[in-house]
Amino acid sequence: MAQDKKILDLRNIYTYFYTESGVVEALDGVSFDVNYGEPVGIVGESGCGKTVTAHSTLRILPKNGKTVAGDVIYKGVNLLELPDLQMRRIRGKEIAMIFQDPMTSLNPIFKISDQMTEVIALHRKCNKKEALEIAIETLDLVGIPEAEKRITDYPHQFSGGMRQRILIARALALQPSLLIADEPTTALDVTIQAQVLEIIKEMQKKLGLAMMLITHNLGVVAETTKRVHIFYGGRVVESGLTEDIFLDPKHPYTYALFESIPSLEKDKTRLETIPGNVPRLINPPKGCRFHPRCKYATEICSRVRPPEFTFGKGRRVACHHFEELDLHIDLEALRESKKAVKEEA
Amino acid sequence: MATLKEYETIDLFSNWDQKTQPIITLDNLKKWFPVSQQSILFSRVVANIKAVDGVNLFLNKGETLGLVGESGCGKSTTARVTVKLEEPTEGSVYFKGIDIFQPMSREEELAVKRQLQMVFQDPYSSLNPRRMVLDLIKEPFDIHYPDMLYEEKESRVLEILAKVGLEDYHALRYPHEFSGGQRQRLGIARALAIHPEVILLDEPVSALDVSVQAQILNLLHDLQKDFNLTFMFIAHDLSVIKHVSDRVAVMYLGKIMEMCPTGELFRKTAHPYSVSLLSAIPRPDPRIKMDRIILEGDVPSPINPPSGCPFHPRCYKAQEICSKVTPQLEELEPNHYVSCHFPEI
Repeated sequence: MAQDKKILDLRNIYTYFYTESGVVEALDGVSFDVNYGEPVGIVGESGCGKTVTAHSTLRILPKNGKTVAGDVIYKGVNLLELPDLQMRRIRGKEIAMIFQDPMTSLNPIFKISDQMTEVIALHRKCNKKEALEIAIETLDLVGIPEAEKRITDYPHQFSGGMRQRILIARALALQPSLLIADEPTTALDVTIQAQVLEIIKEMQKKLGLAMMLITHNLGVVAETTKRVHIFYGGRVVESGLTEDIFLDPKHPYTYALFESIPSLEKDKTRLETIPGNVPRLINPPKGCRFHPRCKYATEICSRVRPPEFTFGKGRRVACHHFEELDLHIDLEALRESKKAVKEEA
Repeated sequence: MATLKEYETIDLFSNWDQKTQPIITLDNLKKWFPVSQQSILFSRVVANIKAVDGVNLFLNKGETLGLVGESGCGKSTTARVTVKLEEPTEGSVYFKGIDIFQPMSREEELAVKRQLQMVFQDPYSSLNPRRMVLDLIKEPFDIHYPDMLYEEKESRVLEILAKVGLEDYHALRYPHEFSGGQRQRLGIARALAIHPEVILLDEPVSALDVSVQAQILNLLHDLQKDFNLTFMFIAHDLSVIKHVSDRVAVMYLGKIMEMCPTGELFRKTAHPYSVSLLSAIPRPDPRIKMDRIILEGDVPSPINPPSGCPFHPRCYKAQEICSKVTPQLEELEPNHYVSCHFPEI
């Protein structure tokens, strides 16, 4: 039964990059799933393996990268074992991807119409004329004004927000079941970001798409997704329903991440910080990868990889001290008492 | 260590009254970049990019003014003109009551620049990769205090490194050996070395990960207190702006739309652009469901800005007068400046 709900199920993925300076353990046993019609968020700082996860799923890793172990189960089929030809039918048609940078994802020397109809004609097996109609229809859908006229324009004639809409349209024109959006609004201004997010949300609902939204912006995740997986150093440290995680983070990293962003709602003079930097994944820290920066770390954290604790509504936390830690024993009270102590001093 | 005051030979600013006059005043500042068309022999100016188009603002001693706006609205150009990296097309910049673009001797010019420093956005490209950190931070002393003994310069470099949270041994390293956050610390150290009074920070944290961003924001906060600095903080992220600044100026297409104390911008938002900007920010709290004002279209080109109020084509309150008459920046309430025909207060 549970099996039927999952459109994508990643199990214990290990992806390594072989570079001159050593082996980069970009993904180190990543497991999570995406249900049919569900928007899921992947959150983490740069270099934590968010994008590599997407690339491993679609098998579009660069030459020096390899998924050495694990299964990517899509609709019951293991994508890692598919022959190349069949994999090509999955990409775009079944799983579509929107990339981060709308400026470089479109070829500057071809018209939008050529770039869109090519994929549509190929994957939906129709002629150019029908493909053009589909292209105009989807451009209309994502809010490009006068789509019929503008489809013959070149990419440089569109603004950043418009190009991102075109990419969304091109991804949706193939009627995929799963959409992977890799930082779709990072390169855009806030007012344009609001426009594009609105379209993504609307499309996701209208078409009942399953979606994997990769981002580092916690605000975007909170508004768009139902479930979240928090990444750190090539591992999933915490996952669960968006609301649960945002209101009650259980992993010390998630908690510290939330505390370190300046907020519009709270007034604070100092931000909580996480000491040190994001770890490099050549020779990553042993045991729990967060332990060098974690204030709760003990001896065991530096030796043993933390097991995953499962509880509640699909909540998973990978931390040795999960059970004994109570991260917010009434935070407000704690802050108040800290203040009082300072004032006394 | 002795202050740098003893090296000061000229006193330009004796007429400045700290209590009544702002430390920096921009008076109808304009910076236009000509766009020229090249024929075989001659080039002629066909248009102007009006990057900064009549900015009025002031900065009081010891405060942080946040300058916020979308990309291309002229924030960085405003900062570059203010520290005399560019000549203005029209208007003037007063620093401690002195017009910094009036003809002045080399000594006087250096005396002004000693007090006005800038930290740049990209910590990767703003440090010369071929020079050691010691040389990089020593450079301001070489320029401004050529008579200073080498030993003194060196000890001042080490002192400033400690201030920004780096160690002595870092002085003998090269920029590529540092992480993004550490490089931004170096950028800050360079600006801080000769003890300026005003530092203009051009998006100092936007290239950094959130956990590192929090470290830098806290560092800036401490330094401001220690050195009694005045900051102009440029950012596009309103939650960062809210966290750091005492007053905020909102910019759009080369003009100031609203300038007021930070708290008031969020409580008593007056300009329709500020209202839409605030509502566009995704909030990292799934409980908040907002009725969002989504602006139509993109920011118009600064080559041909709309007549009248530059925001009128996207404004939800626009009426006929808005496209004809340019609203002036007026003080609607004490210390709350707005340029709008139909403000919300």
